[in-house]
Amino acid sequence: MKIKNLLLIILAVLFVSSTVFASGDKENGKKIYEKKCIWCHGKNGDGKGPAGSGAFLNPPPRDFTSGMYKFKTTPFDEILPNDEDIFKMIADGMPDSSMPAWKDILKEKDMWDLVEYIKTFAGLTGKPAKQIDFAKQVKTSKEGIERGKKLFLDRCAECHGEEGRGDATKKLKDDWDARTWPRNLTKSWSFRVNNNPKEIFARITAGIPGTLMPSFADPASKKKMTDEERWDVANYAASLADASKTIKEGSTVVKAKRILGNLPEKADDPKWQEAEPTNFYLVAQIIGKERFFTPSNNSIMARAFYNDKEIAILLEWDDRTKSIPGDEKAAEILLEGEVYNDAVAAQFPVTIPEEMEKPYFGMGDAARPVNMWSWKSEKKDAPQAVGLLNAMGFEKVEQRDANKAGLTAAGVYNKGTWRVVMKRSLKTGEKDKDIQFEEGKFIPIAFSVWDGTNSEKGSKHTMTTWYWIFLKPEAGAYVYAMPVVVALLVFGGCVLLARSSQRKE
Amino acid sequence: MKISRLLLAVILIGIFYGFFKIFFGVVLKQPIPSSLLTMYMFFVVVGILLVLSFTEEGARELMSPIKNLLENPEKKMMRMVVFVIVSVLAGYITYNQIKPSFEAPLELRTIHPAPPSNFSAFNKTYNLLTLENPFRKYAKEDPEKFKTLVYEGGEVYFKNCFYCHGDKLDGQGHYAQGFNPLPANFMDVGTIAQLQESYLFWRIATGGPGLPKEAAPWISSMPVWQNFITEEEIWKVILFLYDYTGYVPRSWEKH
Repeated sequence: MKIKNLLLIILAVLFVSSTVFASGDKENGKKIYEKKCIWCHGKNGDGKGPAGSGAFLNPPPRDFTSGMYKFKTTPFDEILPNDEDIFKMIADGMPDSSMPAWKDILKEKDMWDLVEYIKTFAGLTGKPAKQIDFAKQVKTSKEGIERGKKLFLDRCAECHGEEGRGDATKKLKDDWDARTWPRNLTKSWSFRVNNNPKEIFARITAGIPGTLMPSFADPASKKKMTDEERWDVANYAASLADASKTIKEGSTVVKAKRILGNLPEKADDPKWQEAEPTNFYLVAQIIGKERFFTPSNNSIMARAFYNDKEIAILLEWDDRTKSIPGDEKAAEILLEGEVYNDAVAAQFPVTIPEEMEKPYFGMGDAARPVNMWSWKSEKKDAPQAVGLLNAMGFEKVEQRDANKAGLTAAGVYNKGTWRVVMKRSLKTGEKDKDIQFEEGKFIPIAFSVWDGTNSEKGSKHTMTTWYWIFLKPEAGAYVYAMPVVVALLVFGGCVLLARSSQRKE
Repeated sequence: MKISRLLLAVILIGIFYGFFKIFFGVVLKQPIPSSLLTMYMFFVVVGILLVLSFTEEGARELMSPIKNLLENPEKKMMRMVVFVIVSVLAGYITYNQIKPSFEAPLELRTIHPAPPSNFSAFNKTYNLLTLENPFRKYAKEDPEKFKTLVYEGGEVYFKNCFYCHGDKLDGQGHYAQGFNPLPANFMDVGTIAQLQESYLFWRIATGGPGLPKEAAPWISSMPVWQNFITEEEIWKVILFLYDYTGYVPRSWEKH
């Protein structure tokens, strides 16, 4: 009898403790939260930590007190997310935002404890009553993609753009009045979760709470789609990923190809497809005053051709808004402030460095000046403009005449992408002021981009560090003759060696 | 069976080459750039040949298969084949060396350049030999105050530094991938754990442009922080870095 009672007590204790552990240890979660998370999400979970308050981050850190979670797998009419949804955000982080993946330094249990603690900020308890119905996943197919495309153009293109580059035709802000940018679906690496069709299906079905991304499963919506239709759209959206925009690690060279005849002058010349693209990350300008923290552009692609006289560089970047100061349509989608021009610049050292020492990548330095080529989009009453300047640091800037240096630039905006061609002769008359291009040398190059609808002007812009541009020479006769000469010499040497060795014997 | 010394040399060189390729390329997924690999292999080959030909006898033994190939009248055919292979190989290497390629030049970099004995910042001159963190003493004298100072350092970090150096202080912030060289990883035992607080103060206050001449190629993206934050804020953020990572700053030995 006594043993039976004891067993029952042990079982009861085990049961209670197991449920306590299963639901996560809030106290442990709190401890970790206060060491690692408060800096952005705030001590009180309101998203107002040191980095969260003020305009330091876009997207801003989540305000946990609202109880609203953007990326969840419960339906639109269910406020509670699944614990797994929150866990996933912590473990894997969110690409293209400041939320890192924590799984490399936090134990799995610690992350579950964090989930439990984070939920307390909004008093979330219990399990969600409903789950997204993934129905039967429709595998991607040619016909399905076609159906998805049709639906996409009808339901999604207004915000995500005809080609999926997120070039919205309307003003978008979230429930906290922050500017939001629809996902550029062609950049698969920039998805907050990932661009797996199943994840995209979840977003289309549940919407992204707090933003203008609605649920397309809501029966009250005019845009409602059936399960199958949502799978078609998800498959189509996933198919928009553009592999040519992938930023390859260690890929640091703009590959200028030598061609015969004229260089393509127009940005939409099909000839450009023959030049191999190289992509670079654009990051906010945070090294010189005034710093900039809330960029909208994140990468730029460069291609180049040259001939015996000139060099042409095609710069291509996705920009969700064509910014034309004075234009009504541009003003319409602006949230606040003023519309400035979109712009791009390529920076070179004035002298190709012989050794490793390059100018400071932020507009050069006193000992090593830089040459900066720039292009500006049109205004309502002014055409596109080409600029040229020399700089020896942020403060010491000399504006120069681009025409005199023979620099031209022309851009075309099409469905969320700017393409700008910059062209100049390889050599100019002013050797001490202009970069003189040489074949077969690695020449430093850096880029800057301005999005005028995102308050980017002057020092507020995105930029890259130094990369290289290389004018690859034609492999001349020398390249083929030299190996033959070397081979013959080595062979002769071997024979002589054998002879002399035998003679000694 | 005793293997010949020449074969041993070849096998040893092969093992080293395989190690560099497999360990860095496959295990660490950080392949060594080819120009660096060439340099390593040069030292490996020289080293192995030196060891194997250390004694007169050893040298003779090492060379004997080559001598035999060169002199033995019965091996004329074999000799010619080897000569042709060697010359074709030399031609091929030459071709690979001189053909135009897009492989970017290697930039070797001084990680922790030797600091100057003194430097200027905030319109003052600091002596790095005597410079100390004025807040460090509160760790013992007033732990509550110290805790507040560390938190304030954290605020400075998350308003200025974490974009590059990361939430986790691991050098993998949101913008880290856009810069070259990559931002310092403070969790690594090779960074702040090896340095004095005065060194950090110097690097933070003067940034990339304040690097000394020998720190070429001079491409650090570190901003010149004296333009953005105060002297006190720098000392506080240094407290935070050590507190968060659990490392202890190096100090001069007290005599």
